[in-house]
Amino acid sequence: MNDAAGHDSGGLSLEKLRCILEVTRDLARPFDLSTMLYAVVDAAKELLDAEGGTVWQYHAASNELEMRVARGLDAIRIPADRGIVGECVRTLAPINVPDCYADPRFNRDVDRSTGQRTRCMLTLPLVGYDDQLVGVLQVVNRRDGIFDADDEAVAAALAAQCAVALQRVQMTERLVSSEKLRQEISVAREVQMGTLPKAPPIVPGYDFAGLFQPTDDTGGDTYDFVACDDGRVFVLMGDATGHGIGPALSATQVRAMLRVALRLGASLDDVFRHINDQLVADLSEDRFVTAFLGQLDPGSHELHYHSGGQGPLLHFRAADHSCEFHPPTTFPMGAITLPALKPAAIAPLALGDVFALVSDGVYEYEDADGKQFGEQGVANVLRQYHDRPMPYLLGRLMDALSEFGRGAPQLDDVTVVLIRRLPERDPVLGDDLFAADLRSDVEGRRMRQSFARSYDSLVDIFGFIQRALAVDGIGAEARYAIEFTVEELFTNMVKYNPEGTGEIELAIEHAGGELICQLSDPDSGYFDVTAAPDADVNAPAEQRRPGGLGLHLIRRLVDSVAYDYSGRRSMITFRKTLGSI
Amino acid sequence: MFEIAATDKGVIVFSGRLDAAQCAKAEAFLATAADPREFDFAALEYVSSAGLGVLLKAHKRLMGSGGRLRLINVNNHIFDIFRFSGFDQLFEVQRTGD
Repeated sequence: MNDAAGHDSGGLSLEKLRCILEVTRDLARPFDLSTMLYAVVDAAKELLDAEGGTVWQYHAASNELEMRVARGLDAIRIPADRGIVGECVRTLAPINVPDCYADPRFNRDVDRSTGQRTRCMLTLPLVGYDDQLVGVLQVVNRRDGIFDADDEAVAAALAAQCAVALQRVQMTERLVSSEKLRQEISVAREVQMGTLPKAPPIVPGYDFAGLFQPTDDTGGDTYDFVACDDGRVFVLMGDATGHGIGPALSATQVRAMLRVALRLGASLDDVFRHINDQLVADLSEDRFVTAFLGQLDPGSHELHYHSGGQGPLLHFRAADHSCEFHPPTTFPMGAITLPALKPAAIAPLALGDVFALVSDGVYEYEDADGKQFGEQGVANVLRQYHDRPMPYLLGRLMDALSEFGRGAPQLDDVTVVLIRRLPERDPVLGDDLFAADLRSDVEGRRMRQSFARSYDSLVDIFGFIQRALAVDGIGAEARYAIEFTVEELFTNMVKYNPEGTGEIELAIEHAGGELICQLSDPDSGYFDVTAAPDADVNAPAEQRRPGGLGLHLIRRLVDSVAYDYSGRRSMITFRKTLGSI
Repeated sequence: MFEIAATDKGVIVFSGRLDAAQCAKAEAFLATAADPREFDFAALEYVSSAGLGVLLKAHKRLMGSGGRLRLINVNNHIFDIFRFSGFDQLFEVQRTGD
């Protein structure tokens, strides 16, 4: 076997060298893969006076060779361990075969599938810059005779250039296709997130919260609240099997069917049965959707529900702080046609009770050692924060999860829906306390007001803060901190979400020796401003950007800042302990 | 309310509250001022982080000519903000009563 690389260029005619250089220059142009393959084959045929040529692309994962170029012929895939080309893959050395049909290594299958007869053949490995095999270059049937040592040298020089060019194009195409996929997934995600309720329903005596936090792929979870004219509220939480766009579409479809069914006045049982049967018809056999569908009657305080494979369902009882876990009531939706549906299960909600729908992604959330967050993890958070507003409880549950996980990646969608029957007189949420008093001088009062999404609102905001803080014991330092922090957070909401609808609400509560302020944007994407990195305050002026500073300052001015997200609502709560002055 | 004006000695006097809604007014004034290098904050009650941005911009402009911003009569709350942000290392800052 000749080692073509061993030939020095002195063996090549000036004309051939010039041709190779010309081809090389052409190959450096930004080709797509097919054009590149044609260019390589054409160059090889011309330089070596060959009748035919092929570039085999090597697929390491399947150890296969793919022929995408042989003009007018279909692509062929062959195992990379057969024939002459297979030996070239194995040895990474050129092979010159003067008479193919006399060589036992020659694979006649290729001739059979192409209908051509191969006389002689020169085969060269295409090795990329990182010494990885990119493919194999084959030229066949020299017009006058067989390929000689000169041809081998020319081919080797050409192959070296082709390999690098081919590798570059392959890498570019891989990048482009992964970017396309990424964009498509992000569009699907946007559609999916857009179907989530913008805000939980407002039902006297109840407090709701919901959250869907997908993994990097579009997850298959969904949830919904639908308030009917007769006062009933339907609650949906679903999880379609698998990940990616398919399950996301199934989940979105369940939600759409629910909405239509309720518009048509269907009962809980009918809704559940018909959505199930439709999914059986639509989904492939290995797909299903676990779904909880409940109907809350705020008059009787009963939650009637069917839970197709969705569980455990958590009922926190305020009376004794116990947590009951209920199993699903029936098969997952879309698994089988339901001949008869069992009567709905009933959860009677006593004052202060919380009914929590929590996805597998939470119960099975794992830390780095593979330990799961579990039912107890969820129950502990519920016991601790059951008497707080549900979006707040939701935020604490997310905090507990990320603390538990300590940086371990989120493996599954996290979806949570919380329903709480408020105690008769809730200290924070009771309706009578919502009246926006103009002046507050009793500790424990909470004032709130909504402001248009514009910097022009700042005048009114400062006026509101002044009234809210017109209380003995609140000094100038605390006032400055509150004003500064509110302005920073409010202007961020305006700046980063100018398209949001609805006014931004500011609430200030003075309780237990601290001020609790809450800014709430009813229509925004998930953006946890508190997770932004701290600014470098020791940087020289030319490296400083005013934008990063605000949060850095807030962290020093107030005692804690927390972000909660529920529905489309972003909420930032910060606390300032009042000094002795 | 926020006001900004220059004395006949060229000192820029800030008064009231410099919040995000007032920054454009301050910037427009500073862009046309002859040589804004000394700012009197005696009557300035409040600066937000957007206001700090205006000061940083003015300072950077001065640095081009080798100058440094000087702030005088800065109240304690605003001084704290400068301290927390490290701006006291960039500008010359003189507190009220210093």
